[in-house]
Parts: sequence; C-alpha cells; structure tokens
Amino acid sequence: MNFTKNKNLTGDVVDAQALTKTFGQEVAVDSLTLKVPRGAIFGFIGPSGCGKTTTIRMLTGVHSPTSGQVSVLGKDPTRFSKADREKIGYLIQNFVLYPNLTVWENLNFAASFYGVSLFRGRRLNKLLEFVELKEDKGKLAGALSGGMQRRLSLAATLVHNPELLFLDEPTAGIDPLLRRKFWDYFKELQSEGHTLFVTTQYVGEAAYCDLVGVMYAGRLLMVETPDNLRKKAFGGEIVRIQTAEVISYENRNNLERLPFVQGKILVMNDQEIEVIVDEASTAMTQLVEACNGEGLTIETIEEILPPFDDVFVRLIEREDDNV
Amino acid sequence: MFKFLIRISSFISKELTEILRQPRLILVLVLGPFLIMFLFGLGYPEQNRVLRTIYVAEDPNSLQGDLKVITEINNPAIVNQGVESSEELALVKLARNQTDLVIVIPENALETVRNNQQAQFVVYHNEVDPFQIGYIQSVARIYVDEVNRGLLQSVTEQGQEDAGTLQTSLESAIAKTQALKQAVPPGDTTTANQVADLENDLTTAHDQLSTFRSLGSSVLVNPFNADTTALSNIIFTPTEFFAPAVIVLLLQHLSITFAALSIVRERRSGIMELFKVAPITAFETLIGKFLSYLLFEMILAGVITALAVWVLKVPMFGRWEDYAAVVAILLFTSLGVGFLISLISDTDTQAVQYSMLLLLASIFFSGFFLDLRLMWEPMRILAWSLPATYGIQMLQNIMLRGASAPPILFQGLALIGIGLFLVNWLLLKRRMEV
Repeated sequence: MNFTKNKNLTGDVVDAQALTKTFGQEVAVDSLTLKVPRGAIFGFIGPSGCGKTTTIRMLTGVHSPTSGQVSVLGKDPTRFSKADREKIGYLIQNFVLYPNLTVWENLNFAASFYGVSLFRGRRLNKLLEFVELKEDKGKLAGALSGGMQRRLSLAATLVHNPELLFLDEPTAGIDPLLRRKFWDYFKELQSEGHTLFVTTQYVGEAAYCDLVGVMYAGRLLMVETPDNLRKKAFGGEIVRIQTAEVISYENRNNLERLPFVQGKILVMNDQEIEVIVDEASTAMTQLVEACNGEGLTIETIEEILPPFDDVFVRLIEREDDNV
Repeated sequence: MFKFLIRISSFISKELTEILRQPRLILVLVLGPFLIMFLFGLGYPEQNRVLRTIYVAEDPNSLQGDLKVITEINNPAIVNQGVESSEELALVKLARNQTDLVIVIPENALETVRNNQQAQFVVYHNEVDPFQIGYIQSVARIYVDEVNRGLLQSVTEQGQEDAGTLQTSLESAIAKTQALKQAVPPGDTTTANQVADLENDLTTAHDQLSTFRSLGSSVLVNPFNADTTALSNIIFTPTEFFAPAVIVLLLQHLSITFAALSIVRERRSGIMELFKVAPITAFETLIGKFLSYLLFEMILAGVITALAVWVLKVPMFGRWEDYAAVVAILLFTSLGVGFLISLISDTDTQAVQYSMLLLLASIFFSGFFLDLRLMWEPMRILAWSLPATYGIQMLQNIMLRGASAPPILFQGLALIGIGLFLVNWLLLKRRMEV
C-alpha cells in the first residue's frame, strides 16, 4: 500500500540548530543540532531520561525550544498550520487511545480528528491489515495486550497518511519478536516514502536505521550511520585473527606498526587477537600477508561486528571520560 | 468547512459511543431521577406533621368547665396523649421520644387572668432542626390563640346568657317606666321628658342586648376570617411542586459531572499531547464535546420528563417548546460549568469533588427548598451564579404556572453559558497550544 505522494522528494525534513530546552534550572536538551534527510529512518538512541522525548516534543511543536532554531518540513513547528500538522504523525510513548472504544472505533476517532474523509472504511481496514489487527477490530482497546495496543497506536498514527512520522519509543516494553515485527513495519513504511524519526532505548535497534543520533544526558553525542557508529566507538573496524601458532609479543608489536592498524592489539588468548583497522575489507588481505611474514599460519580471519550495546557503552564511557 | 465538521464529529461519535457502551449507567440515569421523584412523592404525603402532646396540670381534676377547653382544642397538628400531673415525668417521655410536645398548663390560670395578668403556657419540645422548631412555634402560637379564643367564646356565651336575664330586667324596667310616664301629671313637662328619656335609654339598651344575644359567640370572638386562593386555583402536592426543581438539579448535576470528567481524563491519559500535534483546534474539540453531551442529555431529559409527566402525573401547564428551550440552555450552561471544572482540575477526584460541592451549593442556594426571597440579598449573587437557580425558576413558571420563562432569566442563563464557553475555549486553547 502506498501512503505517500512525495516519494521522490529529497532534502532534509528536520533541521535543528543548537536546540536547547530547559525546565527551570534543569537542562533537558543541550544545544542539539541535527538534520534528518527525507525518506530516512532516523534512530534517536539514548538511555531513559536523556532528552529524547523532549527533543521529539520540540520537533512536533508540543514544546517550544528555550533557544535555538528548528525547522520541520520547512516550518517552525510552533507555527504549524493545520495543513502542516496533517503531514505529521506522532506516536506517543504511552497508550493514550480510549480503552472503552473498540480497535475500529479508536481508529475511526483518530481518522476523524485528523479530518480524513468519511469514505475511509477501506483505508482503515488496510491499516488494520498492515498492523495485523483486522481480526481484532471489534475488541475493546482496553482488552488488548500491550503489543496490540502499540500496533493500534501505530495504525492511528498512520491513519492520515503522514509524510513524516515521529515515533517515540514504539518498541518500549514489548517482546523481541514483536519489536522485530515493528521494525519490519518501519522498513515497509520507509520503502513507501515515509520519513521516520524513531526514538528507542534498545541500542541494538540502531542497526535498522539509516542514521543514528546518540543522545546522552541531554546532549547529542553524534549522528552517524550504524557502521560509522561502530568505527567511532572502537576507533575503526575490528578484525579477529586466529593462528595455528602462539602469537608472540614481538609478532603483536610488528602488526601494531602496520599503517592501517589503529591502536593496540587486543589479546584474546595465545593464538587469538583482535585488531582495529581503518577498513576491514581491505585490511584483511594485508593482515594475512603480514601474519605470514611473521611466520604465523592463519586459521581464521573475520570482521567482528560488536553488538550496538557494546558500541553504545563504549561511546558513553568515552563521553564520560571526556567530561 | 467539511474537515471542520469531520473533526467535530470525531468527538460526538466518541463521547456518545463511550456513554452508550455503559447501558447500566444509562438505566440509572433514566430510572434514578424517576425513582427519586416517585419515592419523594411516596415519602411526603400531603399532610403536616402531627405532634403528640402531653399536657401537664398540677391538679388534673381542676381542668373542669372553662379549663377543659385547654386540652380539647380542635387543632389537627396536635394529638392529645393525656394529662400528666408531673412535669418531670412528661419531660422524661419527651426526652425518650415518646411524645413530641409537653404543654404545661399554668396554675390557677383563671385567677391569674382575673388578676389582670397573662397566664403563661410553657411548651417543651426536643427538636434541633430549626425548621421543625419554627413549625412547633407556629403550632404553639396557633394553639394559644385557639385557647384564648375558646375561653373568650366561653366567656361570651356566659355573657349572652347573663344578658338574657338583664334583658328581662330591662323589659320590666321599661314597663315600669311606661307606667310612670302615665302617672306624670299633665303640665309637668320636665318630669315627662325625663321619664321619656329614661324609657328611650332602657329601650336602646334592651335592643343592643338583643343584638348582642342574637350574634353567634364564634362570630363575636372571630369577627373576621381569611380565605387564601392561588391565582391558578390549584394546590400542588410536594412531588408536583418539587418535580421541576428535581429535574433541573439532576440535569445540572449530570451535565457538570459528565463534562467535568471529560477533559481531565484526556489530560491525564496523555492524549492531549496528540491533540496538540494533530490538526484539531481547541474550538473544534470543545464544540464536539458540547454537541455530544448536549445531544445525549437532551434525549435523557426528554425521557425523564416523559416519565415524570405521564407516569408520575407531574403537571405541565406550559408550552413544550418553552420547556425544551429552557432545558437546552440549562444543559449548555451546566456543561460549561463542567468543562471549566475539567480544565482547572488536575485529577478525576478533584473534578468529582468540585462537582459535588456545586451540587451541594445548588441544593442550598438555588431555591430548591428554601425560597430565594428569604436569602440575604448579597448572598443572592451566589444563587444567581448557579444555572440551577435560573432553571428552577423557569421550569416552575412553565410547568406549574403555565407561563413562559421570564426573558431576563433565559437571557441571563444564556449569557452565563456563552461566557463559560468563551472562558473554556481560551483555557483549552492555552492547554493545546505550545
């Protein structure tokens, strides 16, 4: 199903410059600068209470920034017209729909307050099909499981076919299988031309995003692609080498002197090391040659992709060290 | 414009669905008021409270003749439980709620009166309710008036009887005067004139005594009487009188409670944040909510009224269109009060508390059971700030008097309603804005 008419547009749909929000003495978001390209899935990752929701509220016009500028779809969110708002979908962190209404009635309500035409039955059915709730449309929302409520909320967010989706922790509190399913939905939405701004505290979900913003203690540490995020966390890509012989101190020193090797080699055991390199794909051939030169027989050599949890921890540790 | 209507319809449909999903609530809303009015009619029949009364006389045997009237007064508010000689014992019975009144008959009452002094009745009661105390005071006053009248009547009857003897003496005196007149020598005009004057005086006195005797003793004692007649010439039962006020109070309370919980719940649930981002405005939200509740409550009011008029036989002398207009404006203004509560409350509990306080204020200050004219004038400002005050006055006018609603009341209530709508709109706008 095709949601958007603006599939081929390019440019940034969100452009925030030095965005700051304070509540009294507390700085919730500190000088945040980011751009979200049209058609991307932008993951906004950080621990609970780091300022993700406040940022989303500033981007949707719920909060006005204390300082800085923000432009969403080319407009200041605090001055959005009705037409601008019709282009935005917002999934709130908690389930806020009405428990005494059925799935269908809730969806119908959302469609009405977004001003969707009264001839919308087919569209609502398609949405329910999309979030796999068609069979449950007569159930009261209050009787749904947490995961089903999240899916209903997502359907309500999509009901007016918004160009830009702000999804605030859509996968919070749901099981890993369903989380995976949600990301499948998001990928499908992206393929249809929607831009998604997704916050999450599940660092592993960064892998599904085109761009990831890492937020910590109100500050945006970086915005990178998932791969670059790994590189930044560890100073490059990681190659693990296992040899038939014992790798000596001298062998390691010689390997560390290679120009594409970054920093110290990590010793896993006598015959296994991890080497951080600029570019794993090109460095691996050179490492094989270098090891052979050292008289080492390589049994296995592979690029290691550390889990994003480790990436995130490393980034936060570095940030704390800097502070 | 079309989108505006669609957005409004979202709330109409949502609110109505949420209400209709609770059939037990609807049943209670319809049958509750009807049952209250029915039980009220059953509980308060058309009669005043009858007071069980014990008389205390030091010597009950002395209550003979004239004094008997004291305990035999024909007052429907008093039921004679007997005469006690001990005041203490009578008061114990009063304290135990075995009697309602103790009337202590003054000792030597007749002698006291003959000595040109008032004889004092002491009336004891055991009430704390100021209205009941007022009622007992009225009953006691009427009782003493009746005792006085009874004694006066008895004295008058005795006087009329004595006047008969006096008349006989006068007739004899007149006859003797006439004989004397015959005996006066001719030419003695002076004596003749004096005798003639005497005869005239005696005849006049005789005639006046005849008149005095011919009048009934009750007329002599109560020469004037009063008969009160209402313009409509109808006397309403308590149920009939209170029905319009009960309808008003219930509709006001339902509107306030529904509306008071409406927005505060949405604020608590967090959906207001979604409204802030969505293309819906505060005006559309408020209009949608007003229309949904107004529609539901107009139907509810129709059913309650139909049950009251056709089942409980509550009178409806006025025009139905006037009735409908008053109910509509009452609901509109009450919803305005409810939404205001909803916008200033932080929790459901707070909203319910405010609604209950308003109900209490309406019971005391709206003229529901205390006439507004009894209220201290500055306090009437409070009374006229309650929608129920306007509603009760207007519905009583329409239903019981067959008149139309006084325009000043209708316009006043509408003005408050519009004012509240504007205030609510601004408050909601502020909440929905950044």
